[in-house]
Amino acid sequence: MIIQDWLAQVSTYAGSIDDLFALIGVLVGFWFIVSEGVFFWLLYRFRAKDGVKAEYITGEEKHQKRWVSWPHYLVLICDIFIIYGAVTVWYDIKQDLPSPDATIRVIGQQWAWSFVQPGADGELGTADDIATVDELYVESGKLYHYQLEARDVMHDFSVPVFRLKQDAIPGRVITGWFEPTTPGSYDIQCAEICGIGHGVMAGTVIVQTPEEHKAWMMANTPQVRDSISIAANTAR
Amino acid sequence: MALASSLGSSSVAADDNARGEQLYELCVQCHGENGEGDSMALAPAISGFGQWYIATQLRKFRDGGRGRHFDDIAGMRMRPMALSLRSEEDVDAVSAYAASLPDVLPEPTLEGGDPAKGQAGYAACSGCHGADGYGNEMVGAPSLHTSDWYFVKQMHNYKAGVRGTNPKDAVGAVMVGMATIVPNDQALMDLLAYLRTQQK
Repeated sequence: MIIQDWLAQVSTYAGSIDDLFALIGVLVGFWFIVSEGVFFWLLYRFRAKDGVKAEYITGEEKHQKRWVSWPHYLVLICDIFIIYGAVTVWYDIKQDLPSPDATIRVIGQQWAWSFVQPGADGELGTADDIATVDELYVESGKLYHYQLEARDVMHDFSVPVFRLKQDAIPGRVITGWFEPTTPGSYDIQCAEICGIGHGVMAGTVIVQTPEEHKAWMMANTPQVRDSISIAANTAR
Repeated sequence: MALASSLGSSSVAADDNARGEQLYELCVQCHGENGEGDSMALAPAISGFGQWYIATQLRKFRDGGRGRHFDDIAGMRMRPMALSLRSEEDVDAVSAYAASLPDVLPEPTLEGGDPAKGQAGYAACSGCHGADGYGNEMVGAPSLHTSDWYFVKQMHNYKAGVRGTNPKDAVGAVMVGMATIVPNDQALMDLLAYLRTQQK
């Protein structure tokens, strides 16, 4: 579709969201064009003419009311398609949590994103957790649950290429999911006004191949990273 | 052009530093109009730091040497501010302006130190920060006469590895070792009490 020509789809559900946007865009766009066409046709058809006095119409006659009621019924039929599509997508993405391959923490604060992901043991809250700031490293083809938190005020974790946008609320831990599909570096942004630094509260999600991600995990597991750092300092 | 050339040097004259004053409008939100700081915003007093130190720290924040540790809450607030400075000239201009502000120390917020004990403990610091604690640019040691809560917080950060452990912060790495010499919070209060006796 047209949307992905402008913004890549990098999660398994990005296509569903784009399809919903396209459905809404096509239906609403169709009625917009039709109604504007009728509107301008009426303006032209009943334009001012010499010797013809303007007529006041109350709109109570049946043949007058159908100009409103028929489009109304047709739009309501379109609404059924939109509501069906929206509820289906909402359920699939927001309410039905598939089993995760890994769970990560995503923390928003003024004005940075930080992340915690489990180390080799696959468990959060243990000594080998890997904490990063500004950069989230994930593996393509792996399903992640995220636990979204806010340290101070409201933020919004937005990854446009994932079509992911979720408010972060102080005092709450909000769980959601995504499954990246294509390796690369993509933008993270805050989509909730959160103070003077909101506009520069950016981050990067780096989607890696399984091999790349394994190597990154190895290099960044705290114990390994510390030993590398000590060796580097010793060599100075 | 005249403005651009006037900002080309790191020693920007405060009198005609219109660009620095303009950029400082962003800093005012947390550091205050006179650089006096605001503990609620986790922003220390900066006017007494000196242009060289403010510029150095801005560049560290901008380049990722500070403000990228998971537990550095205040640093993460500061990093995007430094990233918003688009050129070296802007860093020099805003740091020159901040350093030109009246060097008014904020009221003490921490009490309970012993200046005599602090003086003994300060012997290890004086080599770099000077006998009076006003710092030494030659060794990259800043003035310690800033917000007292900030002084304590940074010492905690050094001890915990929150600051000074980034490979891009070589000078900070020196402080990581020095911070371990201070045994506890009481010793920090003693140091603060001694530093207060040295304020000009």
